[in-house]
Formats: sequence, C-alpha cells, structure tokens
Amino acid sequence: MDFRSMNELTELCTRERKTVGEMMLMVEMEKSGRDKEMIIDMMAERLIKMKHAVESGVEDGSPAPSGISGGDAVKMSEYVNNGKGLSGPYINDAMTFSMATSETNARMGVIVATPTAGAAGIIPGVLFSLRKNDGTSYRDLVMGLFTASALGYVIANRSFISGAAGGCQAEVGSATAMAAGAIAELKGGTPEQVVNATALAMKSLLGLVCDPVAGLVEVPCIKRNVIGTSIAFSAADLSLAGIESRIPCDEVIEAMYKIGKEMPRTLRETALGGLAMTATGMKLKDRLLCRNT
Amino acid sequence: MEYQSCFDIIGPIMVGPSSSHTAGVVSIGKFVYEMLGGSPKKADITFYDSFSETYQGHGTDKALLGGLLGMNTDDTRIRYAVELTNRYGLHYEFKFENRCPYYDHPNTTVVRARRADLIVKVGGVSLGGGLSKIFMIDDEKVDIRLSTDDDFSKIAAKYRSNTFYEAMLEGV
Repeated sequence: MDFRSMNELTELCTRERKTVGEMMLMVEMEKSGRDKEMIIDMMAERLIKMKHAVESGVEDGSPAPSGISGGDAVKMSEYVNNGKGLSGPYINDAMTFSMATSETNARMGVIVATPTAGAAGIIPGVLFSLRKNDGTSYRDLVMGLFTASALGYVIANRSFISGAAGGCQAEVGSATAMAAGAIAELKGGTPEQVVNATALAMKSLLGLVCDPVAGLVEVPCIKRNVIGTSIAFSAADLSLAGIESRIPCDEVIEAMYKIGKEMPRTLRETALGGLAMTATGMKLKDRLLCRNT
Repeated sequence: MEYQSCFDIIGPIMVGPSSSHTAGVVSIGKFVYEMLGGSPKKADITFYDSFSETYQGHGTDKALLGGLLGMNTDDTRIRYAVELTNRYGLHYEFKFENRCPYYDHPNTTVVRARRADLIVKVGGVSLGGGLSKIFMIDDEKVDIRLSTDDDFSKIAAKYRSNTFYEAMLEGV
C-alpha cells in the first residue's frame, strides 16, 4: 500500500475509512516493517524536540552567530501576552512559536526539519498554538505530524521541498501547505478538506523565490515562517468553511514543480538575486564577510 | 519516489540552519567516515553550485567536516567542527566549482579522503529535507539513499573495497 498523489491518498482514506494521518501511519508500518507503537514513539520524539526548540526560542533573546537575527520571538511573545495582537490568539501564538523555532535554527540549535530546516518553524508553530488555545492532546499533535508528513510525502515526491531546487515556494510553501492540512484534520476536516486546505495554502505561495541575504537561513526566512502560519490558518478556515480550491491539489503541486523548473538559478538559494541583492542585503553580506576573514 | 518514509518529511532531528546545506551534508561526510572506518587524515572537498555560493552562511563546511569526524546530524559539536579538525588531526582543503560534472543538482559535493593507505572518492547530493544520496564511489556510479535513521556503517560495508579490509587487517 502506498500513495503517489493527493487523489490516491483521499481515495485510500475513503476505502480504508482512515484519516490522512492514520493512513500515513499504516503505510509507514507496511514499508518499514516497524510496529505501530515504535513509529508513534519516533514521531513523539520529534514533537518533544520541537517543543524544546519553541521553549528555548521564546526565552532566548540572544543573536544568531551572524548577528543579523535573534531576539524577535521574545518581543513577539511579550506583545501577544500583553493582549495587543490583532490576528487572534491562534495565529498570534503560532507566530510567536514559529519565530522561536526558526531563531533556534539560526543559532545552530537542535530543531526538526519539517520538511526542511529553513521551514522548520511553521508546523511546530501551528501545532503548539492549537495545544495552547484548545488543549489539543499530545497524542493528537503526534497524529497531526503524521497528517503533515503524508501531505509532504506527496509534495516531495511529485515536486520538490528544497529552496535550491524549487525556490521558497518549495520550502515555506510546502510547510505552510502541510500545516494547513494538519490544522484541518485536527479540527475534524475530512480527507478531502485536508487536501483542499493544502491546495489553498500552496496556491498562495506559488512563485515565491529563495533569496536569503548572505546565504543565511535568516533574512527573510524566519519571518516568512512566521507569516506562513497565518496563511496556514486562513487556508484551513477556508477549507473547513466548505470553500474549494478550483484547481485540484495535485495540479497545484505540478504547477509548483514547473514554476520551480523555470526559476532562474539566481533565485534558488544562491543568494545572487532578490532580497539578497538589495542595497541592504549586500551591505549585511559585506559586513559578515569582513567579520569572517 | 526518493522520499520513502514519513520521517524523511518530519525529520531529521538536526542542528540548524539548513536541512539540505547542513544536515544532508553531515550524512555525506559521515558516509565517507564509515567508508574509511574512521576519521580521515586528509580530505579534498569540492562544493558545487549552491553549496559553493552559500556554504558559509549555512555552515555547510562545518557540516561536512563534522560528518568526516563521525558526528551525526543532531550533534551540537558541529558548530565547532572547524576547530575540532585540529584535535582529530584532519587536514582539509575546500574547492569551489560552478556546476557538478557528475550529477545534475545544485547541492552536490565530491570528497576525496585518505586515512593511512586507504583512499576513497565519494560524490554526494543533498536532495532536501535532510535526505542525501551517494551517486559516485571511486568514479563508479552508484545510487545509495541516505536517511538519517539508516545505519550508515552497514550501508558502507557493502561498498568497501578489498583494500579496506586488507588495511584493517594490518591495523590502520
């Protein structure tokens, strides 16, 4: 048993009467030969590591080795805890937690790639926001990771998940799409709604280029993770409201692949274009090179 | 289908900042370490394309050296790998090229490493999300998928040359 497309995934879920997360778990059992509890334990270990990254990031105001990021999760956390946030508690908390994770990543701290390190903030951000705001159980959060991985599994095999191969749409785009689907499933959506949320989120980020200043996973990556969480919640809301993506998810993924193939090398994680080549981007790079030599 | 498991997508557990430019590269270095049965004394490393443009920012150099010293993707010492090469007696040289002539992907590296009489040349590609592939060993094409949950020592054992075992018998 396996699935190669979102279409196959939803058909399989319907046939087996399983959620997307449960389906991933079944496929993993069959392919790896590991038993169910062991696989759940492995995923739970990842969830715990994510939690540590969030916690250390929210409290650690220190800068990254580059000196160009760090300290913003502390600011965001204070702002939100003072009740000033406009986007509502779900999105506001997700923003704080994703910022914390991505800052931990920039400090070369331990994180979990979801699906990549550059996009590691989004999924923990939305999951721990659900935990904080409606008490989602750890067991359910682990299942949410299986949901997200099923969606990422299809995306990665049909398109790409690295910025060097397909631009930021492949990283933050994929992670946001996976997060949207995971939220939809944890909030009771059907497999069709899960896949639909994935399509809606990914469509919003098609064409996004990978243009890291000085080649660091910091500017603009960290804040793109943060804003990705709000797109994930919006896409999940749309889908749970019964609003459908006119373009089916598999076709959106195919479009992402084609756009990535047409993207010039300067905009695929080479730091030779986009924000990396702005006046300020270049100045930051020069400052870092001076420091390193 | 390069991605075979949910843990290829949610994972690896790793030190930042990049799954393709840090974690996947640790794995390539670690594979070389396993091929040699320990840390090399000399390594000539070529970074291609995206690796050559952004290796400093992503710690790709630290990641590869960390792997060559036997570290795993979640080893917090990777940050200090450059300094640690002294203690392990690893001499290395980096070269930077545009396009990899052996494999069409922006995240590629070729490592030629020596440990006593053993020499191995390994070509690796980091596919994204921490998943890597070894596409060349000693100028022969191979296709070895490396996920951080794999037992690299077991995989490397299948590709080690007779020279390796001769050298082991002589007590390298």
